[in-house]
Amino acid sequence: MQALHDMDVSTSQAITTICPFCGVGCGMTLQVQQSGAGTRLSGIAPQLNHPISRGQLCAKGWSTPFAIDAADRIKTPLRRTPGGFQPISWAEALKSIGESIRTILEEDGPQALGVISSARATNEDNYAAQKFARAVLRTNNVDHCARICHSPTVAGLKQTLGSGAMTNSASDIEQTDLIVVFGADPTENHSILGGHILRAREQGTRLIVVDPRKTRLARIADLHLQLRPGSNIALVNALLAEIFANNWQADQFLDARCEGLDALRKSVARTDADAGAEVTGVAPELVRSAAREYSQAKKAMILYGMGVTQYVSGTNNVIALSNLALACGQIGRPGTGVNPLRGQNNVQGACDMGCLPNVYPGYQAVAEEEIRNKFARAWQVSVAEHAGLTSLGMTLATLEDKFRGLILFGEDPVVTDPDQTRERRALDKLDLLVVAELTMTETAKQADFVLPAASFAEKDGTFTNCERRVQRVRKALPPPGEARADWQWLGDIARELGSDALDWESAEEIFDELAALTPIYSGMTYAGLDREHGLQWPCNKEAPQGTAILHSDRFPIGRARLIPVHHVEIDEPADDEFPLVLTTNRLHFHYGCGSMSRKSPLLERETPDGILFINSFDAHNLSLSQHSPVKVSSRRGFIETRAIISDEVPAGLVTMPYHFREAPSNRLTNNAMDPVTKMPELKACAVRVEPLPADAQPRTMDEILADEAREVAGD
Amino acid sequence: MTDYLIDSPITLAKHIGQSRDLWQLKENDSGERGWQLSAPEIFSALRSPDAMESAKQFFFAPRENIFQFDGNQFRESLPAPEPFALVGVSSCDLTAIAYQDHFFRDDPHYQARRQQALLVGYECLSPCAKGFCPSVDAGPGAREGSADLVLHQLQEDQWLLRVLTDTGARALEGLVLEKAGDAAQTQRHNQIEACIEAFPDDSHIHAGIEAINSNSVAQETWDAAGIQCLSCSGCTTLCPTCSCYGTSDHTTGDTMIRERFWDSCLYDGFQREASQNNPAGAAGDRVRRFWYHKFSREFFQASDNPGPADRYGCVGCGRCEVTCPGVIGVHSMMKKITE
Repeated sequence: MQALHDMDVSTSQAITTICPFCGVGCGMTLQVQQSGAGTRLSGIAPQLNHPISRGQLCAKGWSTPFAIDAADRIKTPLRRTPGGFQPISWAEALKSIGESIRTILEEDGPQALGVISSARATNEDNYAAQKFARAVLRTNNVDHCARICHSPTVAGLKQTLGSGAMTNSASDIEQTDLIVVFGADPTENHSILGGHILRAREQGTRLIVVDPRKTRLARIADLHLQLRPGSNIALVNALLAEIFANNWQADQFLDARCEGLDALRKSVARTDADAGAEVTGVAPELVRSAAREYSQAKKAMILYGMGVTQYVSGTNNVIALSNLALACGQIGRPGTGVNPLRGQNNVQGACDMGCLPNVYPGYQAVAEEEIRNKFARAWQVSVAEHAGLTSLGMTLATLEDKFRGLILFGEDPVVTDPDQTRERRALDKLDLLVVAELTMTETAKQADFVLPAASFAEKDGTFTNCERRVQRVRKALPPPGEARADWQWLGDIARELGSDALDWESAEEIFDELAALTPIYSGMTYAGLDREHGLQWPCNKEAPQGTAILHSDRFPIGRARLIPVHHVEIDEPADDEFPLVLTTNRLHFHYGCGSMSRKSPLLERETPDGILFINSFDAHNLSLSQHSPVKVSSRRGFIETRAIISDEVPAGLVTMPYHFREAPSNRLTNNAMDPVTKMPELKACAVRVEPLPADAQPRTMDEILADEAREVAGD
Repeated sequence: MTDYLIDSPITLAKHIGQSRDLWQLKENDSGERGWQLSAPEIFSALRSPDAMESAKQFFFAPRENIFQFDGNQFRESLPAPEPFALVGVSSCDLTAIAYQDHFFRDDPHYQARRQQALLVGYECLSPCAKGFCPSVDAGPGAREGSADLVLHQLQEDQWLLRVLTDTGARALEGLVLEKAGDAAQTQRHNQIEACIEAFPDDSHIHAGIEAINSNSVAQETWDAAGIQCLSCSGCTTLCPTCSCYGTSDHTTGDTMIRERFWDSCLYDGFQREASQNNPAGAAGDRVRRFWYHKFSREFFQASDNPGPADRYGCVGCGRCEVTCPGVIGVHSMMKKITE
């Protein structure tokens, strides 16, 4: 990147598009210039007239030019050989991949194949991915990383409200009287929304933070309910018990719009703030204050994140929050609602597009024959009758020799999924692993074929942000080398397999096809999205301008359901052998597996010297000082890093961000799963922290694995 | 120097466009404003503080390669742009360029670009949304020497064209123009006075500057602001006077390339030492440092180095107020200081 006019510039252009990082979906403008040397990015600016971000970006957004820099990119297809990856032509890659898929199909059928799509890719790419699985491979084995972020939201809210997405909009933060941030760290992970909360707080909006960690927002909150990890349901039930005991519930709303009140009342009558405190560790008077404030506020909104979903009780945690909002009538109006903060730029869209093993685009169930027939007719193929495997299901099936071929793009499960040792073993065992990526990742290193993917700046399409706003992503640059958009190379493989199901000329043509099959998107076109700065689903004949607030008049399931749920212990509490609980968090400066954010030298410089955050009390007991080298072990493995002593975490709890391949927290995390959604319990597992010699240099994961391999060889 | 009357900025643009690429502020299809290569037949009439980006990127590149080393030889990579003109730079951004010119006076990369530029100012007749240029001596009238030429609208079809430098005078050679009389100068003076009058109350800015200079801001105020600083780098990126940069080296094969890029003093890593010691390890201290650099008179360089840096490091464009997610941009911060 150079200054605006450094080369012999023939034309310049400013392309307004959507930030490729989190689910807030901020607007940014890419400045590009054309010259004899080609088209180049010369700068970025925040989009001033964007409905949410209004001229702002976070540290990740500002670093975008580094994230997609052509210098680091994979530019041709690569084939694994004993001597390392070798560049090959697209024709060779497609032919070999096609042969391998055909062999697996002939020997074991479609159930042995699957697709993991990407919450970073566009709706068009994701629609293509699930259509490839369903109409070309003929399997519902399609999933993506929502499995490990908000699958409990989709499952939980679908049951209670009828729709598994943010009920309200980002702008409601400015209209509400009380914000409850529950198990989320928005100033770090959804920074521009976090900033809206800071602004609202300054203007007098009340703020309650529920989090085991003393987050940035907890420091300025009116109330901080610092609960023990995994006690969400106990806390919410205690809140409900206090609300019912004091008759603070919204009777009219409950009468008119909900069902199941008696059972819920009866269920929570067994607890109260005092009883709850024994499980949650939160002082009863704080719980009573929070119960009063939330139920009595004219408008109160819940924003929640991974601290709710990433538990074996994930789905029930979501149901508990839904119970709370319904009991107080804090839903269906401006400034209210149950609002999951979606992690990735297009995780909402990847779910909407049906990159889930049990639903087609628009959450239309695979289990319903009518729906299967609808898609079979539209796609002119026969489709599989049964729901497919989740991503973790594919891992387990691989280890049981029932699954052989995986096509994956824009995800790095080796770093981001639980129990890294098992994940690596499963990927190793596959007969075919195809990974499409921007740059080399830990997962791509295990692939048979690596395909060069186009970044968000190099293709047209749409992203759907966490408030259900479908926004245009516009091509500003040519892809480097031979990189192609995901829908394009998926189409190439389909054609190799003799299918014309993915024969599209443009992203817009895909959007028109998916809008026709997805009722919640049916009123959308590219022209409409351009005109309105995006549209929020449902957008259809009844709501041509989209829908800012869900459930205003009715729930999609008629009456909302109150469903009693009960406290479930975390799967692996601390014990004598592993005396500390490890939770995971994210840093403002990094994103996911770090494959994009860590390309910025500025963000990389913000990475702390060590990534085990530990309370001063525990540090003292372990004779650790700031930056002491440590070994952190769980039942599944160990990592080495340095200790950062921080009173953000309470005694007994340690935390690690998961972005760093050198010290992957997922070497340690537990793979125990939520029974409904197979969400792993990433937010709590038992660990042991041991000091390494004071002058020791913590080994990276690669060094540890190499040392272990040497030891095995030495035996 | 002689000032002239001209019927339209387009007449001027057509003339200078014969020998230079023209850049103007334009609106794209999404309504976003930024600098674009432009045909001379259009005058956008957009004011530069209404665009997120200032003109600093033209001279101090967001990212650029400084040199490469192939194992034997160092090769510098100096830019060599063709002559170009920025048409329509507001006074605040012109003042910022003058400030940067001083800071980068010995920087060959900056100067290689700057020497090729013709700056055509455009004086605002009404305040912009967040601006306060009069309070920091940066506008709305263009400061002496800060542009080569300055446009000031008098009537629908009559503009005052001021010539501030020899480069500006040379750029007009071959263009036949009527000399401006006293009436035009008086009208300009009155219009600028009226514009200054129209600015909203900004006593919080004055009070904030005085509080900073008398060292009377409570540490708690900075610490509270530190909690709200997300270290996004938006303020320093958009600030037209911020000039800090970092470098990193990339090696491919036998060649090492050193790149430099805009840095931000709000990052924890900005001043962290190799030992992990950090003189500005607390976010509140970094916020304080940022505002001291903008508003402390200790940073005036008048005594030993008179010139364009003899002024505040803030030109009153207000971009930081818009782009700060933490509500600690200039207006918000100065109000917090003086509350």
